[in-house]
Amino acid sequence: MRTIKALAAVAAMIFMAACSNNEQAAVPASTTVTPGSVADFKQNIGDRVFFDTDMSTVRSDGRGTLDKQATWLKQYTNYQITIEGHCDERGTREYNFALGERRANSVKQYLVAQGIPAARIQTISYGKERPIVPGSDEAAWAQNRVAITALQ
Amino acid sequence: MAGFELKLMHTMKTLYSRLLMLAVFALPSAAAAQRGNSVYVDDRLNQLQQSLTMLTGQIEQLQYQNQQLQQQMEKMRTDYDFRIDQLEKGRGGAPRPGPAAGPAPSAPAPSQQAAAAGPSASGDQLYHDAFKMLQEGDYAGAEKGFRTFVQRNPKHVLAGNAQYWLGETYYARRDYQNAMTAFAEGYKVYKNSPKGPDNLLKLGITLATLGRKSDACAVFARFTQDYPHATDLQKRRIDQERQRDSCG
Amino acid sequence: MMMRFDMMHLRRHLRTMLCAAALAALAMPAHAQLTIDMTKPSFEPVPIAIVDFSGEAVGAQIAEVIRNDLQNCGLFRSISPSSFIERNVNANAAPRFPDWRSIGAQGLVVGQMSRIGGNIKVDFRLWDVVVGQQATGLSFTSQPNNWRRLGHIIADAIYKRVTGEEGYFDTRIAYVAETGPVTTRVKRIAIMDQDGANNRYITDGRTLAVTPRFSPTLQEIVYMAYSEGNSPPKVYLQNVDSGRRELLGNFPGMSFAPRFSPDGTKVAMSLSRDGNTDLYEMDLRGQTLRRLTNTPGIDTSPSYSPDGTQIVFNSDRGGTQQLYVMGANGGGERRISFGDGRYATPVWSPRGDFIAFTKIMGGTFGIGVMRPDGSGERLLTSGFLVEGPTWAPNGRVLAYFQQQRGGSVNLQQIDITGRFQRQIPTPTDASDPAWSPLIPQ
Repeated sequence: MRTIKALAAVAAMIFMAACSNNEQAAVPASTTVTPGSVADFKQNIGDRVFFDTDMSTVRSDGRGTLDKQATWLKQYTNYQITIEGHCDERGTREYNFALGERRANSVKQYLVAQGIPAARIQTISYGKERPIVPGSDEAAWAQNRVAITALQ
Repeated sequence: MAGFELKLMHTMKTLYSRLLMLAVFALPSAAAAQRGNSVYVDDRLNQLQQSLTMLTGQIEQLQYQNQQLQQQMEKMRTDYDFRIDQLEKGRGGAPRPGPAAGPAPSAPAPSQQAAAAGPSASGDQLYHDAFKMLQEGDYAGAEKGFRTFVQRNPKHVLAGNAQYWLGETYYARRDYQNAMTAFAEGYKVYKNSPKGPDNLLKLGITLATLGRKSDACAVFARFTQDYPHATDLQKRRIDQERQRDSCG
Repeated sequence: MMMRFDMMHLRRHLRTMLCAAALAALAMPAHAQLTIDMTKPSFEPVPIAIVDFSGEAVGAQIAEVIRNDLQNCGLFRSISPSSFIERNVNANAAPRFPDWRSIGAQGLVVGQMSRIGGNIKVDFRLWDVVVGQQATGLSFTSQPNNWRRLGHIIADAIYKRVTGEEGYFDTRIAYVAETGPVTTRVKRIAIMDQDGANNRYITDGRTLAVTPRFSPTLQEIVYMAYSEGNSPPKVYLQNVDSGRRELLGNFPGMSFAPRFSPDGTKVAMSLSRDGNTDLYEMDLRGQTLRRLTNTPGIDTSPSYSPDGTQIVFNSDRGGTQQLYVMGANGGGERRISFGDGRYATPVWSPRGDFIAFTKIMGGTFGIGVMRPDGSGERLLTSGFLVEGPTWAPNGRVLAYFQQQRGGSVNLQQIDITGRFQRQIPTPTDASDPAWSPLIPQ
């Protein structure tokens, strides 16, 4: 059974790679992670979605990620989820707590709409207190305007 | 000037109707929730939320602009009154404005400098300085200047004018109580000054603003008998005000 | 849990020292030269000589505290003691004014210390060197270990005599002490004297703690802290002396941005629920919670007017962060900021005449002030990232924090004219200053 699933996954990846020549080749590490593990979620699904400056609406690129997250989470129901909202440093501390909360909540709403029970999902905002990457340039800020789906 | 306000009102109405449209469109998608398409519903609600936020911001801006415009208009009106005043004096200092002095806009508008130069013939620096402060919006300074001028020169040919402008300094600051006193004083003491009709007019307007409509009407009623030779412009203003206050 | 403050028993004797017969002739002049009009567009700092106080070893250190305070406020220039001509000034008699005039001093401070029981006492005088008369003379008593406060209190008295404004030197600053790399930075609440002395930590740094705010008596602070695990951060109230801390209300979501009411009986703060953030007020006596705003959008950073009747706050209900004022019971909300850019972190001056704020204009941050009706907006400073102004109790000086590119942060101080700016020294990186009221005497 597991073999079939793995085969199907590989086939799916080949199919995706063939369809979108713009996409990079599938992550080679995927063959070494256990399906259903935290590593599997991070590497093969993607644990984070990014936001535009001062915005908390999920972008279209983020929707793809969240759709995959929802599918995966429905398959592996043993995980509780905490969504961490973050902001870049280009805002004020207090406001950013609220903005991070709003971002985390947008992701929660999206996942709930996709059928994940709200009771499985917690949210927490880190405002601009815990940047994912250091640095004071647009590249760093773009990485830090993020909501990360953490599994427990 | 009323055009600004009309435009603002129109914009606000448009904004509200757009909000209504959004609400109407959002409702059918609520039905979609029953069919399980809740991502779509969330999207619509988020859009609605964003539109509401945007509209709130725009309404705040418009209210602010409206308020700014009103203040600006009040300032412009004072300035306009002032320019007419100067034009009247420009014609050889004729103390009584003839009918031709009425609508000033047809005359070439004097430059700011020319207007601010004031009654240079009289050479009265105090009056001139007070005017300048009035024009610059320094109402407290202008108030002091005009009051001092009237106290020192109660018989001066410009004393009636100074008394009138003293009232305007209060009126511009919405200090209607003091404005009323000043205009009433101007009407009583300087009844025959060139500013007599304006004094009476503003006295009535101030009374109406204070909610004393019947007193305002009584004041307007005296206009025709006291100032049979008032300008057409002044007569028109009186008629307008009488209508606004529904005077009998 | 943490350290105790020795809440000192400082007795202030507001009696002038015109006791000696020789001084009776030196009545206060009607128009002394030694004054500063802070409202003037420009002026030279007043050169002032502060002589080491005699009678106790600590007298020299007290004089140094006074020199630092006056020098750092920007209004005075402390003349180096090495240039003093008259040595061994008798604190109880008139100094040799020509000696002080010749080194350019306009003011001269002398002090005599003595012991009364277990306490130390200072009699100090401020001489107006220009007119050759005493400008003020006061005496203060305190426990020996509180000698620094004696210095600050005397500096406040000099500042008040010369500027006509209340001083702000006998105060403390709470702030967030930051250590470690940006991505895993340790942030804990610290409190220090206004001049950087007596720094101590109020939280242990195991979890992030930010946005400290003093109660009017300085006995308590409120701040926001995370807990271990994934539960949302909350507002805590902590007694500074005992270290005992309590959770302010138990709500399902995050609570943050606390601020005491001027009478200390209430704390306004933000609560977030389902992505929406509104303002609430917690009555500390009854532990009852009252809702102040109810709008879609983020309402945060509340700050009371000094009379407690109004609250200024930050909201994005109109699409971008702006400042709003409402009644302290909620309602009557009106927007007051209409300039270009976004506005945040409003704080009402203890005098009531201004509201200070952070302004975000494109890629630049600024600290500014405006009147409570939104008029008269003025930017005092700007930079890559400046944020979070807080008022000194006299309403004429502000502290805020400044972040460099890359993340290092420090505290800054600026006066309301924007003329005098300096870094406030801290042992570590520092952010989020909160200036205390004058320490109760």
